Formats: sequence, structure tokens, C-alpha cells
Amino acid sequence: MKETILLTKHMRENLEDSHLIDSYEKNNGYFTAKKTLLESSPEKILEEIKASNIRGRGGAGFPTGVKWGFLAEDEDRYLVINADESEPGTFKDRILLERDPHQLIEGMIITCFSANIKEAFIYIRGEYAKPARRVQQAVEQAYQKGYLGKNIFGSEIDLDIVVHLGAGAYICGEETALLNSLEGRRGEPRLKPPYFPAVKGLYMKPTLVNNVETISSVPWIIENGGEEYNKLGVEGSTGTRIFSLSGHINNPGNYEIEMGSSFGEFVETLGGGIRNNKKVKAYIPGGASAPWFRGDQLDIKMTIDDVANNNSMLGSGAVVMMDEDTNLVSAAKSIVSFFAHESCGQCTPCREGTTWLEMILDRIASGRGRTSDINLLLDVCDNISPGLSWPPKMTTICPLGPSAVSPITSLMNDFRDEVESLIPTKVFL
Amino acid sequence: MSEKVNLNVNGIEIESDPNKLLIEACEDSGIHIPRFCWHKRLDPVGMCRMCLVEVETPRGKILVPSCTTEVGDEMVVDTESDVVKKAQEGVLEFLLINHPLDCPICDKAGECPLQDQTMAYGPGESRFVEEKRHFEKPINISEIILLDRERCILCARCTRFSDEISGDPLIEFIQRGNKTEVNTFPNEPFRSYFSGNTVQICPVGALTSTSYRFKARPWDLKSTRSTCNGCSMGCSIELNSSQNKMLRILGVDNDAVNQGWICDKGRYNFEYLNSDSRLKNPLKKMDNEFVEIEIQDVYSELSEVIKDKQTKVNFLLGSNLTNEDYVAFREFSEIISQSEKSFYLNDDLLFKGFFGDNIELAKIDDLNSSDAIVVWAEDLKEKIPVLYLRIRQAVKNGVKLVVFGHTNETLSDIADVYYGKETVSENFEIVKDVSKLKEIKDLVIGKNITAILGKATPYQSDESVTKLFEFLNLNTNSKVLNAYSKGNTYGAFKTLENVKGLNDFVNDISKESTDLLFIVGADPVGRSVYSNQIKSIIKGLDIVVSLDNFNHETSEQANFVIPISSTLGEKEGTFTNIEFRTSRIDKLVPSPGQTVSDWEFITSLMNFAGLTVKTNSLEDLNTKAYENLEDSVSPVFDNLDKPSNLDGMVNVSKPKISSSVRTLIKTMFFTGEKLYGDSVTVRHSDSISLLGSKKYIEVSESLAEKYNLTSGKCTLIQDELEVTVSYEVSKSLPNDLIYVPKNRRDLNKFDFSREINIIPSQVKEALNVN
Amino acid sequence: MSWDDKLLKQAKKIIKLYPQKRSAIGPLLHLAQSKDGYISDDSIAVISELVGITEVQVKSVSTFYSMYKQEPTGKYLLSVCKSISCEINNSSEVINKVQEFTGLNNNETDEEKLFTFEAVECIGACGGAPAVQVNYETVEGVTSENAVNLCKWLKETKPEVVVADEMQENFGGIKSFDWAIQDSSGATSTAPGFQTLKTTKVKK
Ligand SMILES: Cc1cc2nc3c(=O)[nH]c(=O)nc-3n(C[C@H](O)[C@H](O)[C@H](O)COP(=O)(O)O)c2cc1C
Ligand code: SF4
Ligand code: FES
Repeated sequence: MKETILLTKHMRENLEDSHLIDSYEKNNGYFTAKKTLLESSPEKILEEIKASNIRGRGGAGFPTGVKWGFLAEDEDRYLVINADESEPGTFKDRILLERDPHQLIEGMIITCFSANIKEAFIYIRGEYAKPARRVQQAVEQAYQKGYLGKNIFGSEIDLDIVVHLGAGAYICGEETALLNSLEGRRGEPRLKPPYFPAVKGLYMKPTLVNNVETISSVPWIIENGGEEYNKLGVEGSTGTRIFSLSGHINNPGNYEIEMGSSFGEFVETLGGGIRNNKKVKAYIPGGASAPWFRGDQLDIKMTIDDVANNNSMLGSGAVVMMDEDTNLVSAAKSIVSFFAHESCGQCTPCREGTTWLEMILDRIASGRGRTSDINLLLDVCDNISPGLSWPPKMTTICPLGPSAVSPITSLMNDFRDEVESLIPTKVFL
Repeated sequence: MSEKVNLNVNGIEIESDPNKLLIEACEDSGIHIPRFCWHKRLDPVGMCRMCLVEVETPRGKILVPSCTTEVGDEMVVDTESDVVKKAQEGVLEFLLINHPLDCPICDKAGECPLQDQTMAYGPGESRFVEEKRHFEKPINISEIILLDRERCILCARCTRFSDEISGDPLIEFIQRGNKTEVNTFPNEPFRSYFSGNTVQICPVGALTSTSYRFKARPWDLKSTRSTCNGCSMGCSIELNSSQNKMLRILGVDNDAVNQGWICDKGRYNFEYLNSDSRLKNPLKKMDNEFVEIEIQDVYSELSEVIKDKQTKVNFLLGSNLTNEDYVAFREFSEIISQSEKSFYLNDDLLFKGFFGDNIELAKIDDLNSSDAIVVWAEDLKEKIPVLYLRIRQAVKNGVKLVVFGHTNETLSDIADVYYGKETVSENFEIVKDVSKLKEIKDLVIGKNITAILGKATPYQSDESVTKLFEFLNLNTNSKVLNAYSKGNTYGAFKTLENVKGLNDFVNDISKESTDLLFIVGADPVGRSVYSNQIKSIIKGLDIVVSLDNFNHETSEQANFVIPISSTLGEKEGTFTNIEFRTSRIDKLVPSPGQTVSDWEFITSLMNFAGLTVKTNSLEDLNTKAYENLEDSVSPVFDNLDKPSNLDGMVNVSKPKISSSVRTLIKTMFFTGEKLYGDSVTVRHSDSISLLGSKKYIEVSESLAEKYNLTSGKCTLIQDELEVTVSYEVSKSLPNDLIYVPKNRRDLNKFDFSREINIIPSQVKEALNVN
Repeated sequence: MSWDDKLLKQAKKIIKLYPQKRSAIGPLLHLAQSKDGYISDDSIAVISELVGITEVQVKSVSTFYSMYKQEPTGKYLLSVCKSISCEINNSSEVINKVQEFTGLNNNETDEEKLFTFEAVECIGACGGAPAVQVNYETVEGVTSENAVNLCKWLKETKPEVVVADEMQENFGGIKSFDWAIQDSSGATSTAPGFQTLKTTKVKK
């Protein structure tokens, strides 16, 4: 199995200076944007994006062309790049920001042209200080060259980009929370309906929110045509995607591949196998929110639909391998306490429920569990995500609360023995 | 009205207006959905998740919060399915895991939605074995409000109220997730004129009032619905008492008037009823000392005086009388004299107003439906606080707001245009051609306008505001809300003739014109800008009878002081508000000692004097008050007590105001009144008595410089009088103007029409040292 | 106002970047953090005045985000990741050793105001687990031994600028990806070493 290098081409070929505008331009950078602004039309760009069938890389996998098509008419519209990447296991946007920020900016210029947007924001998580510096530098360079600001490339088009730093809140990756945060408010998700960003987004104006990787893919799609992109990967999961591989793996890292091969193949070839030749006990196919797969499920294909059909999600493309020695109760506890810590606190079930789950798991992990805790765990989960089905039903505003349920259902469905063995009283009813 | 939509709830077909929220539509059809965060008057946030219901979609049934989901035609809803019940029980359990079990000592117990719903939907036993979240037990977040964060269920009702409705967001969520708490900023207490509303809408006992704390249990409470007589808004209220003591006042949701909200003064200024200093027995002045006498003796002494038809009687009436009280005085005046009598209202700002035949008077609700609101009046936030809320609401709904003058600073914050010192001079005259002002052209001319007009201060002449009115009348489609702010002024307008103000009083009243003066529920010596003049006029009269709840600076000058029962909770009657809406005043508690109602006193006196009295009962007076109205629309008791009329009945009338004295001498000072200050009743209401104790003035930038004011304090000196005040330098005041909140203690002693010296404090201290 | 003219000038520049003033709260709080090492009530008052909302509203925003510290921090903020990829790669040991060395519990600052320690959620360095940040500059593949060496080095040399590359070279191991580019930029405070401030917005 080999990587297919589109997005990461420039950074791989220009190890020393891929983040600088000179290097980017030397390798045909901004050429596509320039051509687009001077020769193309917004409609044509939208068509290409639709033809590419690219789906959002932020986690939800929503078709990008459809999303752009939803954007309501208004004099003021905004583009917001979601660079809040905080899903445990995920570090793909980081490399795009740090190593090839101009590709993102070029994608933004084309996107804004297509959507008639004059003001855009890049919302980068606060902990990404260095990537943010690189992006900021790139934005300044682009301004100096006249690629941002007024009459870019000598066209009639204006565009401003502001780099905005978050401050430590995973929930701000959720697009409406992100908009609240960008407005200087608490990063609490908004109600959908009525606050769909494409209609009532930033400052209640129509707003496109797209992930870094999604928009970084735009220059290639426009340069080579949506059809070409559509040929890559498989139906429903076209193009390439950067997967972040971590955990008990020999070669952790970001890999750009076409979707469609199996997790097993990916892990064995590019990942170099599990460390110390151990077996896989379980793995997370798409970030901490995703339900786990067992070690015997490595033949599942890495596509949005295949993973969904197996009751999990490809999510943010973060694959975390857990070997046979992993204490899965501790692993689950780590994920649940992540969500408890990151709950915005609006919804009663999420605010109270995630913390309660954390407490129960903590009790079990430290050998103070009770026999009734198993049912209690599941029932608390059920009160956050009724029926414990997939995709999750929710009693909450956003999917964060139900995300905390994923590792527990995985644990209970597939590794119940491991939980039970930690509970001192061995009597189960 | 747009077409209705039909939906199916629990198998039953119901009808609803479109755009309604599911929770409301269900409620209207008698289907109750439990909730905590949703409140009819607040923007929905869908946070507590208690109101989840199942709605059918093409993708099957989904759980949605009914408080954020709009109804749709053909919508199929289940509010009682097993999934719904399970979700609701789950939410309750989640809320209870961190909620203390201190119901036995909680003020809210017995009327607590959380308690009620736990009974109705809750789990039996707690499965939560961990330690609950802990916070320091109740903390004072203001002088009158306590916050117990352990009880808080984070529904955001209080924070939304203070942000959306009252516009003073001083409480907020702090921290996030499971650590979230409501709190204030350090050293920035929750000092809002409307803070008590948050106590009322808190669905648990997290916010409580110091005044009500531990005072009663809901099941011991007696209650009745009444009308607040604190200002001319006439908010609907509920009175609560226990063991014959008034303990609490709540706002009642009167859609046309206060929509459930009341101001804190209205809420807490009842404590005086229980004050030990209340007058209980009549007083007679003998050798400059008051001695208690029997009420019968008062009647007999005074009846001797009024029997003499030559006796010239005059009336200075406060604004806290019921319409029936006013009618009694009118009857009295008609019986004792043939010539026309005037009634002087205890009001510095009375002028003819805008009631002419071709003037359309506005209703409060017109604020919401007009294109723009134009305000030139007293400071509405201080004087008619809930009207201020209604203006805020209209602005939030997109109505434009245009504010004139130097008195409505808080309103100017939300105004689209504020015409301050560039447009309105220190003489309170508009110095520009209004028709040429750009924003007036854009927002006002040719539009539907609600104009709230009145004199902004006693130091303003009637002419200037009249000019503005005439401009609006000519150039817009305008309705006028006359901004008389005091209590039942409109009741007086409705029931009395030849109404005049204190400006006329000082002009008209003297030993020559008056032998006997009744002063009823009024303390002009303590509060009027004409204080000194009034005091000397009264001193010069033969017989002065003061009827009041307390002895005060004015009654000190009287020959007789009669203890009366309070319009708040101690008597029945009717009240008429700023839009001529008449509603019920009700009695809940007895009044102390030999107190009588105003009308009882005057009726008894007439009977004692052997005069032929036609109105011997409250009902007679009530009927008399509205005798010129058709039975069906007349706000007589029988009609008002019908369930459909609880919110009051509107009968616009054209009052007969014969005030003629127009202007005051121009000085450097102009006065206004703050919500909290030193008044006869507030002085005796412990919770709020000190809230208006700060003595301060606002000084224009140029005067601050002229008087070398830098230290934050200065001393005002006039004759023997020296008062040290703090001052604020105001950028918005014209050059030569100083604002004085005159209802602050000691500041009422100055005669602002004469020179007052201003000395910066440190200079004075330095002088003292030398 | 407790902010000097230079800071206020920066603040006003930030505010101008946004269509609405309130949006600037985030960066202004970072600015406050870089000045004092935490969000002081004074700074909150300044920001509330600058953007025109009440102090408690600013406080409400600032306390929502974990990077705005409510207590003064030390010169170096040591953030050790404890989320899933790090957790299963022994981050708990790193945490233990760092706590042992510094003598600090979670979210504590030592008396000399040198170190503040915190165990944090995922910092996007999962491929280089376990990962550590010093003033938000990332070091990856940090063994517990090296974590202690890193602390020692900070304590001894007290660098004014904390540079990720330098720390990675001396104390790091396996990385999430090839950093390739030599970078000497870094952090000078417990606010992320990043300036929104130079942005030249041409329009408006
Ligand atoms: C709790 C939560 C966290 C999320 N975090 C991120 C994130 O860190 N980065 C991201 O791009 N999208 C994140 N998303 C998805 C966004 O809400 C949104 O779908 C995405 O930014 C859309 O961009 P795309 O269509 O290009 O994927 C998150 C969603 C949820 C519910
Ligand atoms: S589910 Fe959790 S994170 Fe999402 S809005 Fe509700 S409380 Fe906030
Ligand atoms: S009442 Fe609907 S969520 Fe609270």
C-alpha cells in the first residue's frame, strides 16, 4: 500500500521552506487561485467542487459542494476555517497549518471567490502556537504580495483574512460553538435549528465553516478538475485523506492515502505494524468520539460508509491502535474524562452525565466498583444517548455528550469481561 | 392573523398559531410538558433538556426539545412515550445528583418546580453515591439578593433575564462544564433595579430575597391579586401574607402591562406596612406637641369647622390614593362649597400635557407596533421602571428609539439617536430645527410614532416639550403616552376636575384663599423643589389636616395627623395607569390601630357634620367614579372581578388639568429623582431603605473645571446648609448644568432657585486644618 | 486603566481586526495573559471597557477557556498530555515524574513562580506520544526521564524564549511528523507565543 500525495506534495518536496510564499510560488502556488479569479466564475468553481464529491474532513463528512450550495444570500457572508483540531488522536490539520499554510490560503481565496465572501477567519486552537505563527506569517506574506486585501491579483475581488486563536476548549471545534467563540462569547454550541451557519452563522450572517483539510484540498481540485478528484478513492469517499495514526504503532504519523483499503493493510504497511509484534486488542477508527473496533475487525475498509455500516465513524481520520496489553477500562476512562472536561455545560445530561460516568469508571478502574455499576453505567449512557444505538440518538444539543458514551458501549459490547474482572464482588445478576 | 396549523399530539388533534413553540402550543391545549429553562418571556435556550418530546420525521421518531422546536402543520408529536419518559426521568436524576436535599429549610419548598417534578417524574432513590458538588452556602450577591450555588440547576433564567430583559448583565455563568456556576464579578454586586424578578423566576431556591428569607412556607401563605401603586405603570402583582403580615410581592404576567416583571422597589417597598413607626392613632398638635386623640374627637372638632359654609377648604392630594378615595374628596368638595374647587396634586411636574381632542393617546402595547419611539421625559428607568423594560423590549424587536434631553441616559444607550447637549440646551430647549435633523427625517417624519412626553424636570418649561409635540403631531402619525410618573395620577385625572400641581399650589394657596387644608398621603416639604415655600405657606394656615401612614416633614406642620391604611394591601379600590387602564387594588392584611381609609375618613367626617352624603360605601364610590361610562365597559368592581378583566379595563378619557403656572426660575441645577431615595415609605422598608443613601450629583465637564473638582467629593453650601456629596463628571451634560437626584437625603433641603456654593472637598479640609 | 499605552495600542489594533468589537475578547485575554501570567480582575475591567460589555460577562468568557489562567502562573507552564494516545503510551509516568520533580499537584504553581504544572487534554501530538508543552511549545516523544531533564534544564538555564525545536532536539523522541524546518521562534510567556497584532488589514 502506498500513499497518494496531493495535499502533502509541496511540503514533502520542499522540506526546508514549504511554509514560505517564495517556495510555494516556485512550485506553482497561487497559480490556480490567480487563474480562477481572473478567468473562472463562482458557478464553475462550485460545479467542480460538487463534481469532486469531496466530503468534509472535520468529522461529520458532509458533502462540501452541497454545503456551499446552502449558503444563504446576503451582502455580508463569511468563511471560517475550522482549525480547532482537538479530537484526541488527530494531528492532521496541524501539519497542513505548520508546513503548508499557503495552500490553505489559496484554497480560501478560491472558496471566497466562489461564495462571494470578502472576509474570512482562520480559527486555530490556542495550543497550536507554532502552527498559528506560521499561518500568521503566511497571511502577512500574502497581503504583501497583494494576494489578500484589495483587488487581489489585480482582479475586482477583495478578501481579508484574520487569524484567530482559540484558548483551550475542544467544544469550539463544533462549528456553532466556534462561531460563538469567534464572536467573543462562551464556546457553547448553538441550537440547530434555527442557527444553521449557512443561514445564521457568524454575527447571524450566512457563514461557511470548513475544515483546514477540506479547504486545503480545493486548489488541487480546481487545478485538476473535480472529475479527476472524484476518480481517486472510492464512491462516497473520494479523493485522498490524511489519516493520523497513533497508539501502539511502530510508525505513528500522518499518511495521505486514498480511502478504500482496509485498516489492517494500512496499519501493517504504512504503520509498520504494532509495536513489539503485539496483537491488536482494539482500535479507534476515527477519533475519540468514535466507537471502537476489535482487533479481529481489521479488515473493515477505510471509507466513510464502511465504517458507518459497522457502527462507528471515520470522523476526523484519527486511528488509534491499542495492543493486547492495554487496560481498556483506563483507556475508556481517559476518553470519558476528556469529554467531561470539555463539556460546555449547557445540557444537563452532558454536564452531569459525563462527570458521573467518569466517577463510576474511576471507581471500577481503582477496584472500588460495585456489581450494580455495570447497569448503572449503561443506564446513565442511555440517558445521554437513548437506545445506545449508532448513529447516536441524543438528549443533548450537540454530539459531545453522546461521544462520551462511545467508549463505554464499546467496552460493554466487546470487552465486558475486562470490566467485570475489575469489580471485587464476582456475583453478577 | 395568519392561518392556523394542525398537529397531532399524543393522538389528539390540536390547533396552533404558526411560529409557536411546541411547548407553548401544547400548553395552550392543556398538555403540560415539564421544563426548567424555558420561560415564556425569555429567549429559548434549550439547555435543561427536560422538555424533550418525540417528533416523527421521515427518518423515524426523534427526540427534540419542545421549547426550541416550532410547530409545523401535520406534525406528529408524542409527549408521553416511554422514550420521552425515560429521557425526562434521566434529566431529573442528573439534576438531582448535585442538588442538596435541604428542602426543609429552603424558601422555595412547596412552590418549587424541581420538587414538584421530582414528585411527578422523578426517580425514587438516588443511585449517585459520590459526593455532591460543593459551594459556599448562600452568598450575598447584592444587598437584597442571596445566591446558593449548590441549589442552582444552571437553567440560565436569571442570566438571560438580566441580559435580555433588564439590560444589566451583572450575573453570568462562570467556568464551564461540570464546574459551571452563576456568579457576579468581585466587587460588582448584582445591583439591578429588577433583580427581584430573578428570584421569582428561579425554578429552584438558588436565588432568594433577604426580605423573605425563612419568613414563611408557601402553604401558610394567603394571597391576592392587586395592582402596584408605586408608579403610573400599575403593574399587576400578587400579594402574599402570613399571619396578617405582608411578606412578599410577586409580579403577575399581565400581557398588556408588565408581562410578569416588576421593579425591585415595587417588590420590596411593602415592609413599611409592618414598621413600628406607623401611625396608629390620630394626633393633634397642642402647644407645639402632638398628642394622641380618639378619631371621634377629630371628627367632632373638624365637623365644627366644615359646618360653616364660609370655610375655605383646599386639598393637596398624593398619588397613592385609590380612585374611590379621590371620588370621596370630590364629593366632599362638592357638598361643602358651591364654587368650583381645585385639587392640587403632590407633583412638581404637573402641566397640561397632551390630551386635546385631536390627540390620539397611546397604549403601552403601541410601543411594539410603532416604527419609532420618541422620548422626552423624566428618567423613565428611575421613574417608571417597567415602562423602561417595555421600551427595551420594543427596541429589541426592531422599533427605533429617539431620545431627547439630559435625563434619559440609560435609554440613550440603546437609542438609535440621542439628542443631547448639542440639541437640547441647559434651559431644556431644543436649539435646533428638529425638522432638519437627519435621523428625524429618516426615522420619524411620516412614520408611526409613539411619543412619550412629559416635563423632564421641574426646571423645564412646558413650551419646549409642547413644541416637540406639535412637530410630531404635524409631521408624523403619532400617538402620545403622557409620562406622568407618579402612582395613581391617572386615577386622579379620571376622577377629579381642575387638577393642578405644586407649582400652582405655591401660587394659589395662602391664608386668604384657604382656612382648612387637607394634605393626603403627601410630603411635599420633604420632597418638592418648592419645599421651603410650601412649608411657610402651610405654617401660615389656620387648620391643616394631614392624612398619612407616617409622620413626616409635612405632617409635622399640621394641626391634625390622621393615620390611614395603605393602598398597598390594606384596602380595596381601583387604580388607573398611564394608558388609562383601570385595575383592582385589593386588601390582604388589616391595618393597625385606629387607621382609616381616606374615603372612610372623609365620609365619616361628612356624616358627623350632618351633611347629606350620597356615597356611603366603597361600592357607591366605585360606581360614582365611572358613572359616565356604559355599564359593560365600566371598570366597576363587578366587572373587574370577572376573570376576563383581571388585567384591567381601558377607558381613555381627557383629564381636566387646569395647571397654569409654567416655568421655574432658571438655575445651574436641575433636579430629578432616582428610583431609590429617601421617601416616607422607603425610609421604613428595611431591605431597600439604604439603597438610595448615596448622595451624589452629576456635574458638567466645564463646571467641574470651573469649580476645580478633582477629589471626587464636594460640598454644597447655601445659607446654614452644608452637604458633602460625591460627584460624577458627566460628558453628556451641557456646559452649565448640574444634575441633582433630589430624593436623596439632605439634598431636598436646598432651594435650587437660589445660589448654591460649590467647594471641592480637599480645599475645604485644607481650610479646616489651617 | 491598568494597561500601559503600548498595550492599549496593541489592544485597539486587535479590536480593529473584527467586524464587531466583542470578537476581540479572545485575543485581548491572550494579551492579558502574556502581560500578567494570568487574567487579573484589572485586565478584565480594562477589556470590559474596551469592548463595551460588563466585567462579569468578560469573566464568564475568560473562565470558559482553560488557557486563560485564573491564578498567576509560573515562568514556565508545563502541560503534560493525558489523553488517549498519550495515556496508553505511559503519560501517567511522565506526569508522576514531573510532579515529583516540581513538587506540584495539578494546576499548581511553585513558590518561586518558576513552574506551573498541569495535566492536559489532547494537544494534537498523538503521533509523538507522550507529549509535553512548555508555554504551548510542543515537545514530542518525551520519556519520563527526559521530562525531568527538560524541567531541570528550564530551571537551570531559565531561557527567556522557549523554542520547540531546541527542546525537541535535546529532550524529545519520536515525532508526529517530520518538522523539517528549523525554527527558532518560540514563546516568551504563558500565553501562546503568537501575535495577531502585525496583521495588516487593508480593507475598511
Ligand atoms: C464536539 C465536536 C467537535 C468538533 N471538532 C472539530 C474540529 O476540531 N475540527 C473540525 O474541523 N471539525 C470539528 N467538528 C466538526 C464541525 O462541527 C464541522 O462539521 C466541520 O468544521 C465542518 O467542516 P467540513 O465540512 O469541512 O468537515 C466537531 C464537531 C463536534 C460535534
Ligand atoms: S452536549 Fe455537552 S458540549 Fe454539547 S452543547 Fe450540550 S453540554 Fe455542551
Ligand atoms: S425547557 Fe426546553 S430544554 Fe429546558
